[in-house]
Amino acid sequence: MKLKMGVDIGGLALKNPVMTASGTFGYGEEYSDYLDLNRLGAVIVKGLSLKPRDGNPPPRIMETASGMLNAVGLQNVGVRAFIDDKLPRLRRIDSAVVANIFGETIEDYANVAEILNDAEGVDALEVNISCPNVKRGGVAFGSDPVLAGEVTRAVKNVSRLPVIVKLTPNVTDITEIARATEAAGADALSLINTITGMSVDIEKKVPHLENVTGGLSGPAIKPVALRMVWEVVNTVSIPVIGVGGIMNARDALEFLIVGAKAVQVGTANFINPGVTVDIIDDMRKYMSEKGINDINNLIGTLEV
Amino acid sequence: MKPYISATVFSQRETVGGHFLVVLKVSDSFRESLPGQFVMVRMKSCDQPFLSRPFSIYSVYSHGKNTFLEILYKVVGKGTEAFSRLREGDILNILGPLGKGFDIPSECDKIVLIAGGVGIAPLSFLAERCERDINGAEIVCYIGAGSLEALVSLDRIEGICSVVKISTDDGSWGHAGSVTELFRRDMELYMDNDSRIYSCGPNPMLRSLNKLLKGRPVACQVSLEERMACGIGACLGCVVKIKSGDVGGGLVRVCKEGPVFDISSVDYSEHNG
Repeated sequence: MKLKMGVDIGGLALKNPVMTASGTFGYGEEYSDYLDLNRLGAVIVKGLSLKPRDGNPPPRIMETASGMLNAVGLQNVGVRAFIDDKLPRLRRIDSAVVANIFGETIEDYANVAEILNDAEGVDALEVNISCPNVKRGGVAFGSDPVLAGEVTRAVKNVSRLPVIVKLTPNVTDITEIARATEAAGADALSLINTITGMSVDIEKKVPHLENVTGGLSGPAIKPVALRMVWEVVNTVSIPVIGVGGIMNARDALEFLIVGAKAVQVGTANFINPGVTVDIIDDMRKYMSEKGINDINNLIGTLEV
Repeated sequence: MKPYISATVFSQRETVGGHFLVVLKVSDSFRESLPGQFVMVRMKSCDQPFLSRPFSIYSVYSHGKNTFLEILYKVVGKGTEAFSRLREGDILNILGPLGKGFDIPSECDKIVLIAGGVGIAPLSFLAERCERDINGAEIVCYIGAGSLEALVSLDRIEGICSVVKISTDDGSWGHAGSVTELFRRDMELYMDNDSRIYSCGPNPMLRSLNKLLKGRPVACQVSLEERMACGIGACLGCVVKIKSGDVGGGLVRVCKEGPVFDISSVDYSEHNG
């Protein structure tokens, strides 16, 4: 049986629904020794800002129960160095390339989006309005429906590419933000980004992270992510990408059944650099076992 | 390089209180390991601890058809505590060798090793290779630890080095005080182009060594330690501040641009303990 794994995410065609989550996959090249990048549905690169950013001072990470906290603070080479130094290698792979973008002001977001219009090899934008680890921008835009809509509109107005907006779970009602970004023209939504948390060294009585708080990721957050994806797919009509604690194909399939059209694998890449390919292979196995010839026939089949 | 592959615990024993030496049977690909490089290790089929742990390589050697990799570590938290319970035959997942090792000169008169605690591990591996690869070099070692009970790897290092000098914080063995103090008394012997200094230990120790060597005409490399999630340059968790010029400057990754750096390039002005 020929298995169809391709999905369409608001105009972005993926050969399979497995993407790499921004900030966990560098610029792709970090992983080229460990897996065939051509196998992936998409590579989503580390968040790009107008200017290079140093990020937060260390320590930046801490292990927690079934997960980790990070406060990297969007360290990146800047959008222009990305285009000149990183994109040429990424362009050669036969998978979609999604540029995750970030700004401190709405103008920043629009500027980065505009610069990427001329970058051959970028197939879509993911707008990060959900990073909890920066003082300006990030989650400040993502937790206010009006601002979230404004950022989305500003990027949509200038970009020629499909625009995915990445949402934060650190809000009272994620469907409110989802609705606002859909109304502002988002082509798709991805959720969730990390959940804000902290961890304390009881010997020294100091936070484990220099930034005090960080973003929680890993299997600890999967149930929360799944619940929020469920809420959002029942609210909007644009495609939703499920993100949060996916460690294996079973986890990924849960998101698809709930209604996500694709998934992003994040923290799992750190503990197994080849995990995304394993997930794709195991998804195929599941499809042939269950007699599902098109992955789209599985999406949103949750019975409640 | 393949992602994580299996390694079998060949043996494990507690060397001195709270310090363990584990010998792993690994694939032949680890034969190319260089002193200063590290491996990421994770329990197989168990999600606790969740993240892999980085360990510098204590030694690598072949015996018959097998390749063995040794890790010398101190129990400091959940991860090392779990590893300390490993027994012969247990299976681990391992990734490596990773990172940039020490620069080993082809010719050199004096190799000086300065170790703090379990920081001796990569330096011992380096000493083995210097003894094998550099003709006629004198290898000397300064080791510091909290107390006599925490002095690890003495036998091995004494077998390789012509001089081993010891300090303990509590004075229970050797010089009472810090290892950098002990080194400072002799340091004029090594201030020339024919000597190389290598160091690994807690950040405060490296910081004071950096102070001692500032502006002096001797090459010194240090191996740094930071918490890591991936070990391959993606998570950006393990950054340290480097002075501009050397490897780009700013915050660079210990796992990728390091873990070995020239001590003069590390920016000790505001962080690193």
